[in-house]
Amino acid sequence: MKLLKFLMVGLLAVGFAGHARAQTTDEIISRGTINIGILTDLPPYGFLDENQKPAGFDVEVAEMLGKFMGVKVNLVPLTSPNRIPFLVTGKVDLLVATFGITPERAKTVTFSIPYSAIENSVFARKDSGISKLEDLKGKRVGVPRGSVQDVLLSNALGTTAKIQRFDDDASTYQALIAGQVDAIAETGLTGRQLFAKTPEANLEERFILLRQPNGITMRKDQFNLRQWVDTFVYYIKVDGELAATWTKWFKTDFPVLPVF
Amino acid sequence: MRGLNLGDFLFLIEAARWTILLSLSAFIGGGIIGAIIALMRVSKRWTLRYGAIGYIQVFQGTPLLLQLFLVFFGSDMLGLPLNPWVAATLGLSLNAGAFLGEIWRGAIQAVARTQVEAAEALGLHYLPIMRHIVLPQALRIGVAPTVGFLVNLVKATSLASIIGFIELTRAGQQLNNVTFRPFTIYMSVAVIYFLLCWPLTIASRRLERRMAVAYRR
Repeated sequence: MKLLKFLMVGLLAVGFAGHARAQTTDEIISRGTINIGILTDLPPYGFLDENQKPAGFDVEVAEMLGKFMGVKVNLVPLTSPNRIPFLVTGKVDLLVATFGITPERAKTVTFSIPYSAIENSVFARKDSGISKLEDLKGKRVGVPRGSVQDVLLSNALGTTAKIQRFDDDASTYQALIAGQVDAIAETGLTGRQLFAKTPEANLEERFILLRQPNGITMRKDQFNLRQWVDTFVYYIKVDGELAATWTKWFKTDFPVLPVF
Repeated sequence: MRGLNLGDFLFLIEAARWTILLSLSAFIGGGIIGAIIALMRVSKRWTLRYGAIGYIQVFQGTPLLLQLFLVFFGSDMLGLPLNPWVAATLGLSLNAGAFLGEIWRGAIQAVARTQVEAAEALGLHYLPIMRHIVLPQALRIGVAPTVGFLVNLVKATSLASIIGFIELTRAGQQLNNVTFRPFTIYMSVAVIYFLLCWPLTIASRRLERRMAVAYRR
């Protein structure tokens, strides 16, 4: 897996050195189709519905984007580890994939103004006594590999905690339920729902780790497209469509999102 | 989060169709490459022989996961974007070609050298020797290990999920991420793989027995 990561980074570097294609709004409009990378592993942001079709908040935002641009939307289901390679190699035009805005990531890709937010929480047994970051020292903590919470905990705890990385969210939850780890850092909303439905597991949210705004993600050279996407996000924020979609999927008020 | 429904299991079976198609096309592609590699490997010209050895070393010595990754994303770097289906078929074929090439080289070399020498003494050229003497015998020797390899190939297709190809394993993952029922889902996935591979294993064993009879002296 280390080798794979090394290779991914290597390919990214090559991609930037030569090949990455500039793509403008006009080019996409004249093509008539936009390829949008979404996640299908993160309910309710993106998942497979009862008919095994992609659904969720991100999917609806992606459809909305296509509607405003006047093009057909081709949804490309991706995973957290492969979404960046798909974007930088031009296999998708942009990502609506709950991608958190960080300066680190902005070295590789470019973000629109925030269109959604995600809460990451630490979950553990009800009698674990874990209630703050320091309590995780000496514990086994599960995270999805390469996620924001992985980076955050690795930096904050270093070697004082045993951080175990899993391939996707479901495996991370499963590791906690099976007792392979003492705590996990995961999406607040999904975890709360899951552990409310499985009271026998005796697990609950212990504290909120971070609240993170997400941006629609593009390649660094897509200035023109980014200008359009920013305008689109601004517009659906102002006219209330984004907030309505949010409430439909999350049953809460649309969070206040900072802009840049 | 939602519960599992009947459609989810149909979704898995439908995804298994991609696993089967990918296995078949990789086997055909790998078969063609493997045949060429095997013939190069037993060639009298050292350039061909070493070319084949190099190919086999590279593809047997690196993980299939990386090969798929390099074919899929690397093709973009070269300006020849491939879709996941073509990239997965190509990557698996290149890999299967190396393994099948080695299996078939063994089968060809298992045909007694003296037969080739006798044929040469009769004045036959390379093509007729291969076509009428060596390959018909090598084919029978190679059948059983080839089918055995096919079983591995079926399971190896699960790696195609890294490049966004939704086959059986990836479909199971997607369902698990929304239903959180890992045991039900992954057990179903395992059962489907088993049902695909088991007949092949039986066929392999039968063929092996039949070949053993054919070669009893």
